Amino acid sequence: MTAHPDLVEIASAIPRRRIVIEGQVVRMRARPTSGQPSLAVTISDATGSATAVWTGRRAIGGVTLGRRLRVEGVATLVGSQLEFTNPSYTLLP
Amino acid sequence: MKVIIAGAGSVGRYMAGQLVLGGHEVTLLDQDPNVLSRHAALAAGVNWAQGDGCEIDTLARIGAADADVVAAVTGDDEDNLVISLLAKQEFGVPRVVARVNNPNNEWMFTDMWGVDVSVSTPHLLTGLVEEAVSVGSFVRLLTLAQGKARLAEVTLADNSPALGQEISRLGLPRESTIVAVLRTSQVVVPRGDTVLHAGDEVMVLVTGESEPDVRRILVG
Repeated sequence: MTAHPDLVEIASAIPRRRIVIEGQVVRMRARPTSGQPSLAVTISDATGSATAVWTGRRAIGGVTLGRRLRVEGVATLVGSQLEFTNPSYTLLP
Repeated sequence: MKVIIAGAGSVGRYMAGQLVLGGHEVTLLDQDPNVLSRHAALAAGVNWAQGDGCEIDTLARIGAADADVVAAVTGDDEDNLVISLLAKQEFGVPRVVARVNNPNNEWMFTDMWGVDVSVSTPHLLTGLVEEAVSVGSFVRLLTLAQGKARLAEVTLADNSPALGQEISRLGLPRESTIVAVLRTSQVVVPRGDTVLHAGDEVMVLVTGESEPDVRRILVG
């Protein structure tokens, strides 16, 4: 698969702009949001890590620890961590 | 601050006018071009935009990507939720404020839908009516921080266990604080040695866990 044209390294990703990152799932957490389920998946590339939060679900088929993932969306800084809310994602081989 | 207000009804127009007076950069969005032409002259300094706030393209066009605050205050709860979710999810807006029209919908106005703060007029009014009629009871006025904290008010009755006591000796839980005492229409800034009297209106900020203790200390 060829690299996405908008792909950026996580360390140089700019908050509040539409970005594409790729990396490996290093952490998965079911994290209740206001009493509703949500899934927080941290992905990491060579430069850093970012967390994608999907609300209303506890699991996503195919998203497992160690899986390579492409995530596209707008991230904000939560503390020092980049965090996406309900981004688009692609499972990578 | 750069503020986007979706919904140019009486609520949105009032907010826009006030915020412009406060020196903020305000864009007021409404679907209805007639609303815009009828009222545009009234609020000088407000940027008026026509479009559907439930569409990403519209929000992008009016600068949601740089907005500090988005306030979804249309008369339609579904629209307010969609606008809130898009503002948070697609533009990462740091503070999203939403108006609840039907109090039955209030449970949905949480961070699940991108809402940081929700304001429900019927709920507020109920709280104020309760406050007006109740001495000696614990009245919740406002919910903050996604429901983790609440501002409440107690008018101390003649039999309150807190009468004649210094605030520092009340044994209030750490997760609560008295933020103001209203005494014969004066605001008393509470200090540790402030002594409470019957008839004092005590404004107290509590978290969910500490509320029963605070209630016991102030109401009995």
